[in-house]
Amino acid sequence: MTDAHIAAVGTSPLGWTDLPGRDLFSRALAETFADLPDPAEVVDALYVGAQSERYENQIMQGTLLAEWAGLQNRPAERVEACAAAGALALKNAVRDVRAGVHDAVLACGVEKMTAGGTEGATNALAAAFERALEQRSGITAPSQYALIARRYLHETDVTEADLAEIAVKNHRNAAANPRAMFQREVDVETVLDSEYVAPPLKLYDCAPVTDGAAAVLVTSERLAADLAADSVRVAGVGTAANALAVAESNLTYLEGADVAASRAYEDAGIEPGDVDVAEVHDAFTVCEAMLAEAVGFAPEGRGVETVRDPAERSPGWTDVHINTSGGLKARGHPIGATGLTQAVEAYEQLTGRAGDRQIPDAGTALLVNEGGLADAHTAAHVLTGV
Amino acid sequence: MSDHDITQTGPLAPEDVTADSPFTLPGFFDALGDGRLLAGRCTDCGTHLVPPRPACYECGSRAVTIEEQPRTGEVVSYTAVHRPPSPFSDLAPVTVAVVELDSGARLTGRVTAPVEEVEIGSSVAWRARDPDEVGIDPSAHLPYEEDWPVHEFELTR
Repeated sequence: MTDAHIAAVGTSPLGWTDLPGRDLFSRALAETFADLPDPAEVVDALYVGAQSERYENQIMQGTLLAEWAGLQNRPAERVEACAAAGALALKNAVRDVRAGVHDAVLACGVEKMTAGGTEGATNALAAAFERALEQRSGITAPSQYALIARRYLHETDVTEADLAEIAVKNHRNAAANPRAMFQREVDVETVLDSEYVAPPLKLYDCAPVTDGAAAVLVTSERLAADLAADSVRVAGVGTAANALAVAESNLTYLEGADVAASRAYEDAGIEPGDVDVAEVHDAFTVCEAMLAEAVGFAPEGRGVETVRDPAERSPGWTDVHINTSGGLKARGHPIGATGLTQAVEAYEQLTGRAGDRQIPDAGTALLVNEGGLADAHTAAHVLTGV
Repeated sequence: MSDHDITQTGPLAPEDVTADSPFTLPGFFDALGDGRLLAGRCTDCGTHLVPPRPACYECGSRAVTIEEQPRTGEVVSYTAVHRPPSPFSDLAPVTVAVVELDSGARLTGRVTAPVEEVEIGSSVAWRARDPDEVGIDPSAHLPYEEDWPVHEFELTR
């Protein structure tokens, strides 16, 4: 098996922009290939994660983005699992390179979420949940996660103020991330005083609606060396689909995330305690706490200590630093691109390019990208420095 | 198969998967319109499946049978949707809950009470309604959903 490496990364600005999806992709691609030959000289195939055609009334995103990158007659296809789409594009690219099918595959993601306004985004996102009984009851993404959060708070001693601290921590991290949508700190009162979207979740517990694109070049180890690229190794991959309906989900433990991360750890030959930095899917603050528990960083019920310095956490916690990018909450959450923006942060941490948010000696990273209700779909990757 | 032979247990033959089978959504909603809420019940591991389907998600068995569900249950979790999808705008804020019926089966649905009156453990009973009477914009329905009832929960206490 050939080792797969990430040889280069790029993102568009993340936020509310005047650029349509294909142009956001062009921005990301321009960064990825700034120091490389033209994409047509390097890339054998392309995968694109895109959540919904409702935003821009455009499917065939594989063909479109390949066209915009100058990649005629290459294999190019869209993958979809709501917000896990970006990591699925990465997973497919890694699979193809490892299998020797291709030497270089472009994993990209794009979402133009603001195209239909808040109402358009609400309706498009609601399609990620079970249709027959749950959508027809008037649910939304925040309300589905609120049902998890309510039960989690009920069964643990975690409070809304504890969850608010996760938003505060992620805004603080984003303030040091030039790619982030919200490069500003917030205080805990701001979070707690924000309006309820679906109690116990408030506006500042929720990741924002974000326009954005990301492009990650996955190559064989040999091609990364030939390109003189500063690369990182994709050491482990694991995915798992769990229940679609919230009524059928385990409301307090994200079993699907546990399974996906365990597969990635096993593939990489590591343990949770080996992970230095992790980007986990904090679509809502409660998710970061629950994912820290599910992927083996924290004891059950103590995931909220993600905000603490590693030395000040409860016994059973690892020393991992979580969401150094600012997470979905503050870096931004362009649905189909999010899994790849996680990879971009890990790439920067593992290559020493993370500036003021650099974790010293970061050598191993975990990415956890989820789609639908929490662990309805989880895609996990382990990356290591070389 | 005969009409509504709800005792049937899978694996199903292809010709049994028809719109009058409770293992399909049309069959499930026909029964709901008649006041019967049907769950799949795995005869191997006991898991309930709402709506019914031909395979158990917990253990993978296809030995799933149909079990009529009780009216009453308890709230497992709840929230209020302050900004629901546009077809539900007239109902905002929409109280929704995950309910565990007295059988152990779970399903999510609207609760007709304000969220302030709902707690974990609140006793509720379901009923089936015409979605247009409830105030859901008919534009929400796909053509094949137009005659499907929508369930809701009332607090019983």
